[in-house]
Amino acid sequence: MKSKILYSVIFIITMNTYGQNINWRSLKSEQKHLFTINFGFDYASAVGLGYGYKLNSNIPIVLNAEMSMPFGQKITDDFKTKIGGQIEVLHISDFSTTIKAYSIFRRNGSEFNRLLNFGSEFSIVSGYYSPNWNVAGEFGFDKAIVTHVKHSDLMRQNNPDLKNGWYIPTGGNFSLGIQTSYSIGNNDLSLKLGTLIQQDLKSKPLLPYYTELAYTKRL
Amino acid sequence: MKLTFMMLRFVCLTLIMVHYSCEEIDPNEPGALVPKTVEQDLNLPSIDVNGTKLHSESFGDPTNSMVVFLHGGPGADYRNAIAAKQLSSNGYFVIFYDQRGSGLSKRHKKNSYSIQLMIDDLSAVIEHYRTSPNQKIFLIGHSWGGMLATAFVNQYPNKVAGLVLAEAGGLTYDDFTKYGESSKKLNLFSETTNDVIYVDQFFTGSENQHELLDYKLNIRSSFSYAEGNDEGIEGPSPFWRNGAVVLFALADIAEKDKFDFTTNLNQFNKKVLLLYGERNKSYGLTFAQKEAGYFNNSQIEKIEGTGHEMFYFKWDVIYPKILNYLNSLN
Repeated sequence: MKSKILYSVIFIITMNTYGQNINWRSLKSEQKHLFTINFGFDYASAVGLGYGYKLNSNIPIVLNAEMSMPFGQKITDDFKTKIGGQIEVLHISDFSTTIKAYSIFRRNGSEFNRLLNFGSEFSIVSGYYSPNWNVAGEFGFDKAIVTHVKHSDLMRQNNPDLKNGWYIPTGGNFSLGIQTSYSIGNNDLSLKLGTLIQQDLKSKPLLPYYTELAYTKRL
Repeated sequence: MKLTFMMLRFVCLTLIMVHYSCEEIDPNEPGALVPKTVEQDLNLPSIDVNGTKLHSESFGDPTNSMVVFLHGGPGADYRNAIAAKQLSSNGYFVIFYDQRGSGLSKRHKKNSYSIQLMIDDLSAVIEHYRTSPNQKIFLIGHSWGGMLATAFVNQYPNKVAGLVLAEAGGLTYDDFTKYGESSKKLNLFSETTNDVIYVDQFFTGSENQHELLDYKLNIRSSFSYAEGNDEGIEGPSPFWRNGAVVLFALADIAEKDKFDFTTNLNQFNKKVLLLYGERNKSYGLTFAQKEAGYFNNSQIEKIEGTGHEMFYFKWDVIYPKILNYLNSLN
């Protein structure tokens, strides 16, 4: 019951929020809201929605939240939500560096189990930014801090003594890639490509690449 | 900035609540995510051979002709073929074992595996159970187990009195690659595929972190019987535990060394029984004929109404075919 309440609270809070790739040079001072829709491969084929809110601050800061769901017949059994923000920490001429930090809540349901995970993601993006386009490199770490495992009846038929509960720690993946965007008026079209490697720096996920094609509307 | 601090505070409090309100389980704890191996649970039936401890059971009179069942994978276990113990009531001494690093057998480091070691283990299992030098030995191999059985016969053509191959997934590297490409097609937009690959962001395991890696492989086994699968697998079948490290190790070795288990099969003159499931689109009569062509003497039998997991779903159909074959050579 406790986990169900927790799950509901996190889900409601995060489902109206999301995050984006931001070209700080194309973001005008009066623009506060960023709405994004994206599609790509992020451990699985997935679609996502995002929202960003630019704070009134001396340093460019945008608070983000996003939600993505993998493709499949069951709509809500797998998803990932992120809430956090990004801050431009360095700006020299047309070059810029941004740090992003998010907390993550995600779910995976299959015939054998239901997984709920709290995690975190940190990344640094650095590159060339003009008002119309940008290209940047990206390095990040996605940490799966704690995962609740509930074995299904099918799994328990096979092995009745398995333990349900919170498993700590459960792992993490590094990401390394590039991103680029093109801006027209209040619209941004961005593309991310990269590779994933597990935290032991040897093993790779079954889908060891990520891609994301995103459209952002700035208001 | 106030909003930022509120959000950060919420996330921290949530994590602290989760941290202190629930019992933590170490994913490496034996028996938590996957059942214990024979090394971790001494009550399980086991044998100590060739420097390892194998989960193993035998049925029937030990002095009868021996039938050794070899499960698939690599890495799977013999649980879904246990019905084959029925042969013990027909005058056979039936042996099951989970191969090294597979099922409930002892785990080893990835760099310790080789195909030769798996062949040596089979030799050691036979010697462990053998009660007389003249005792006849029959091998039944399913999928990868059929490949291993053939590798053994290729190396020791005079040690085996008969061989049953149930959809061995390629007796040469080329055949193995063709079968794999045909049977393991990924649809990146399907529920099953996404369930299988999405889990990589929840659990990651280092190269020899057996509990975690085996758990992920257990979950991924659902991919094999996804709706519309080419191998014609009807649904889930029971298993204890899959061995991920042995699977990865032997897959790497196969890719690197490009095995060929057929080089010496012309020395094996006993008739071989090849079974194939009617519903396995990736195997079928054509693949069975190709594998039969490597042997001097063979018999092909189609198993109606099933696919690759025929031992679990259609044992009643294959049982008389195997029994007739064994009796003809016993």
